[in-house]
Amino acid sequence: MAALENPDDLDAREREALETLLKRLADDEFVLAERYTEWQVRAPSLESDLALANNAQDELGHARLWYDVLEDLGFEEQELIYERDPDDFRHSTLVELPFEEGDWADAVLRSYLYDAAEELRLEALEESTYPKIADRVGKIQSEEDYHLEHAQNWVERLAEGEEGHQRLQNALDRLFPHALTLFEPVDPDLEEAIVELRLRDASLEELGEEWLSIVVPYLESLELELPVSPQVDDDTFEITEEMLPEKRGRDGSHTDAWADLHDELTHTYRDLGRSETTKIMEKPE
Amino acid sequence: MIWEVFRQEKTGGYHAHCGNVHAPDREMAKQFAAIQHGRRKPTNSLWVVPREEIGEIDSEDVAFGGATDRSYRWATAYNTTGEDAREVVESEDEQATAERQRGDD
Repeated sequence: MAALENPDDLDAREREALETLLKRLADDEFVLAERYTEWQVRAPSLESDLALANNAQDELGHARLWYDVLEDLGFEEQELIYERDPDDFRHSTLVELPFEEGDWADAVLRSYLYDAAEELRLEALEESTYPKIADRVGKIQSEEDYHLEHAQNWVERLAEGEEGHQRLQNALDRLFPHALTLFEPVDPDLEEAIVELRLRDASLEELGEEWLSIVVPYLESLELELPVSPQVDDDTFEITEEMLPEKRGRDGSHTDAWADLHDELTHTYRDLGRSETTKIMEKPE
Repeated sequence: MIWEVFRQEKTGGYHAHCGNVHAPDREMAKQFAAIQHGRRKPTNSLWVVPREEIGEIDSEDVAFGGATDRSYRWATAYNTTGEDAREVVESEDEQATAERQRGDD
């Protein structure tokens, strides 16, 4: 399929598909980074604090790469973040949930669930017909390897102890349904267009099943039990309607926690009566 | 558990001590070291070593040398005429530089 080189040449459906795909990507990374940042100076040790802060910084960088591509479609930064209606954000509810107070198991398990999905999603963007997306994937992948390794190292170590294992199980019960929303469409028609135009060359259904085929055996090997059973037989997995939480993020429905977080992160912008964002860096390449 | 961290800037260079990290095992120590000591400075490789595996001998245990004046052994201690062979001049320069840097590395 021909590359969709120039944003001005896109028809309405192409534009909308591109915008939707980018918002999913950017919002996930941005909101997850916001949540990770809450662990600053509160993580179990100085080292783990720095490691998570590092990952948060990476995710913000990735969000910036994707928001920057959205700017090609005519958006400005303030419209994408500070002045945007919180219901227009397209991130999965997995990344917006507050951490249970001091629950490090939640942080590392959430990171594992997310980063395992992120790896597959980026693979499916390597050949994107929108060249700027394909160009930026490699940069992001090089940092994501560390995130996944970091999350797995922690999850495996926590799973070894009785208390750690219990905490992981509690976090899994709470987070797993929300993790499934990573593979929910913003809108079924637009999702079809994303795949048809090869902006991403795997469907959400395919990505979700592949993700399940990786995370389910992994979690089971640590003797963790899934709160739902997405396994149809030995190597077939499926996400069904009843496994999903009520609020799914992608479709604009969010948990109350998101409204609070959005209010908090836009507070200073509103408080100072800003109408545009401060530019402290050149546009990313 | 404390792991001492050594950083090598370029292939072939020495791994120089650059700090430490707390970690329960080698795998985590390597991960933490990568962030804490490999992210802001040019890094080609890092070593992590359990602190208790490092052997130390200090000035209370042994006289390391350098306590007595041994400048008689340096070529710089000799008067030269300025018309000496080039090798002598170079050797003097090298030793003078080495003397200035003593204790720095």
